[in-house]
Amino acid sequence: MVNPVLLIVVPIGLAFLTPILRFISKKWVKFIPVLGFIFNLAVSISLIPAAIHDPLIVKLGGFAPPFSIVLVVGPVGILFATLISLAGVLVSFYALSYIKEGPQQKYHMLYMLLLAGATGVVLTGDIFNLFVFFEILCISSYALVAYLGNKAGIESAIKYLIQGSIGSSLLLVGIGLLYGYFGTLNMADIASQIGTVDASRLFIPMALMITGLGIEAAIFPLNAWLPDAHSSAPSSISAILSGIAIEVGLYAVIRVLFTLFDVSSFLLFMLVLGVVTLIIGELCAMSQKNIKRMLAYSSIGQIGLIVFAFSLSSNFGVGGGLFQMISHTLSKALLFLAAGFMIYKTGSMEISSFEGIGRKMPLTALLFTIGTFSLVGLPPFVGFASKFMIIRAALAKGEMLYTLLIGLVLLATVIEGSYFFKVIQVMYFKGSKTGITKSESPITGLIPMIIFASLIIFIGVYPEFIMGIINPAASELIDKFSYIRSVLG
Amino acid sequence: MRKIIGIILLCIIAWGIFMSLAKIPFGKSESKVGNYYVEEGRRETGATNIVTSVVVGYRAFDTLGEVTVLFLAAIGLGAVLATLKDKSRAVIEDASLILITGCKFLFPLILLFGAYVFIHGHLTPGGGFQGGAVVASGFLLAYLGCRGDRISKVGSAIFESLGGLTFVVIGMIGLAIGSRYFLSNFLPKSQLNTLFSAGIIPIIYIAIGFKVGSELSGIIDQMMEES
Amino acid sequence: MAFLQDYIYYIGAFGLVFIGLFIMLTKHNLIKVIIGLSILETGVNLFLISVGYITNGTAPIFSKPGLNVREMVDPVPQALVLTAIVIGLAVLALVLALSIRLYKHFGTLDLRKIKELKW
Repeated sequence: MVNPVLLIVVPIGLAFLTPILRFISKKWVKFIPVLGFIFNLAVSISLIPAAIHDPLIVKLGGFAPPFSIVLVVGPVGILFATLISLAGVLVSFYALSYIKEGPQQKYHMLYMLLLAGATGVVLTGDIFNLFVFFEILCISSYALVAYLGNKAGIESAIKYLIQGSIGSSLLLVGIGLLYGYFGTLNMADIASQIGTVDASRLFIPMALMITGLGIEAAIFPLNAWLPDAHSSAPSSISAILSGIAIEVGLYAVIRVLFTLFDVSSFLLFMLVLGVVTLIIGELCAMSQKNIKRMLAYSSIGQIGLIVFAFSLSSNFGVGGGLFQMISHTLSKALLFLAAGFMIYKTGSMEISSFEGIGRKMPLTALLFTIGTFSLVGLPPFVGFASKFMIIRAALAKGEMLYTLLIGLVLLATVIEGSYFFKVIQVMYFKGSKTGITKSESPITGLIPMIIFASLIIFIGVYPEFIMGIINPAASELIDKFSYIRSVLG
Repeated sequence: MRKIIGIILLCIIAWGIFMSLAKIPFGKSESKVGNYYVEEGRRETGATNIVTSVVVGYRAFDTLGEVTVLFLAAIGLGAVLATLKDKSRAVIEDASLILITGCKFLFPLILLFGAYVFIHGHLTPGGGFQGGAVVASGFLLAYLGCRGDRISKVGSAIFESLGGLTFVVIGMIGLAIGSRYFLSNFLPKSQLNTLFSAGIIPIIYIAIGFKVGSELSGIIDQMMEES
Repeated sequence: MAFLQDYIYYIGAFGLVFIGLFIMLTKHNLIKVIIGLSILETGVNLFLISVGYITNGTAPIFSKPGLNVREMVDPVPQALVLTAIVIGLAVLALVLALSIRLYKHFGTLDLRKIKELKW
């Protein structure tokens, strides 16, 4: 059985190796991320059966917890690690033909380090280690947003950076307060001692940490950076930011809330915040004319839906939230990748310039349409299965409040459908612009999109395939005593 | 208007934080983990500087993350500043005689001091990061004194990569032999308080010292090219 | 007054934090915002170090025989601050490079005038 620490160390090692390999051959540098993440994907898939059965505890350095850093590879961790490696392979394959200008080997190094940081956040069991890998994730995304070097990119990178660094300083203050109270940095150890301090004193560290992590997770009042950043980055990076980075940020918020602190007093606030984020995200997306900005606001809305699902706090609710995260990654990455080549072909990001592209780039437009249908939640696609699970979980609660909120969620879905169908209408049913030849995206761009689409259809038709990992993952998040027991023994 | 909202927000946060701080008395730290490290650190890692044994022994994975963050800063800087087209250089005037003579005299001494700090990281206060920063300040002095000379970009990139790779490879060797954990201390920890003690700790710190020194010098070099 | 004397380090550290936050929230020159970021990070590091202090303690280095273990300060916050300082340095380097590019594009460092991206 492969040691899970290789999931984090191999991309870091390859990123350190790249400047040396660049002197040997410039052309082969762009294949390094592909090979690295194929290795990661193979390792994480091979670890799934063992991780579901019993969380794997990896002691780094050979010392016992809580005196060392531990990696806790449970069902949640391995689920996210597999998702990150899968998205990593496919988007790096897409980038083979998409990234043509700028300092390309630096792009690939930053890309590998972003995903290594994300994998570190989901696998770690130590709170300061979470901060360090979270910073790796954030700093590489600041640099990648500014990659294209144009006015929009630099402006959005500066605004993202300023807000993100305020967030990480607040997170560090929260970690310092927790260390002062409990004298340890291990998450399981803090969770087992959380009852010794009364709840009013715990409110400030929790609020500081949630604010710090929530800036990256794009929860309602803290998401001002997201539309600019996701629309000014290159499209492969927008796919990774929307699909992986904000979800890993949200995972960190959920881990801190559910495992470290006692979440039950906070659930109502999360519920309302989730629905508010959802409604605001969808309403703002409706008025956008720039396709990438529209997709970015839609990401904000989806994060609101996922927060709503987690605040239901039952096995179905948390499972629905995890499933919605998977379906959002698959659909949103497919949408950004398809939009990337469509923007490259028409030369502009305005929706009105996509007129008639359904006939000029038929396969790409079809894949974009599949992504749209999945995000809105139409039947044979994975988006339907995940939204249905969330609605069923909310109805099972039975109270009037939840039924009212379900009504708002369905209203938001209708709004989502309306603006996406406007795009589809422009793509297929309007006349075509002259001057665009009929040519498809390159094959290395099409293969990842086709794989995403087939996964969307496959998991949508057989959701039982993935329930085998979502159910144990939901139980791990809800039941924190088994988490403490498996780490500390 | 913005100032008033800012002040009110900060007052609320300040009140909350001071309520929480009442529980953390200043000067009495009963940290179980901290006491364990001070008591057992010498025996388990072999370093007499307990902060080093925490940074490179018990929490070595955080140090790997930190090395990666510094690498990211250098790469990000290179990516952001790379595509500037106009490199109109202002006229650089010569430095004064005192500065030129002083920098030629002081530069090797500063490098020596930086190397001393990072080689003896397990015995005296200091370590890889501190020593690397001293080395980079030596290079800054050289830039200020001998204007127009630049360090070789290829050389600094090679040092940077080799430093990082040494750290990762030593970690993986620990995975393969010895006690089969990542970053376990597999070399013998001989006599305390001597230079060749504490297993892999001095080797890692030397690698980090080279890496940080060449990285920070590279950052200074790239910033200097812009002005 | 005894309260002030006992907690002076915490008050100083958080004073820096709040000054830094105030600067970042209200000033509109980019260089002032970056200076505010630096002050904020310094304050946070100072707070972390002062959490681990033990009264009349000394550095946790066994440089001569006969040092009492009970009189050493906590080494863990020092390791945390080591990492936090380096991370702060990395963010500062990146934001300064970005501000160089920003100035070359827009010609001004006033954040109120840099609104290329509309709503």
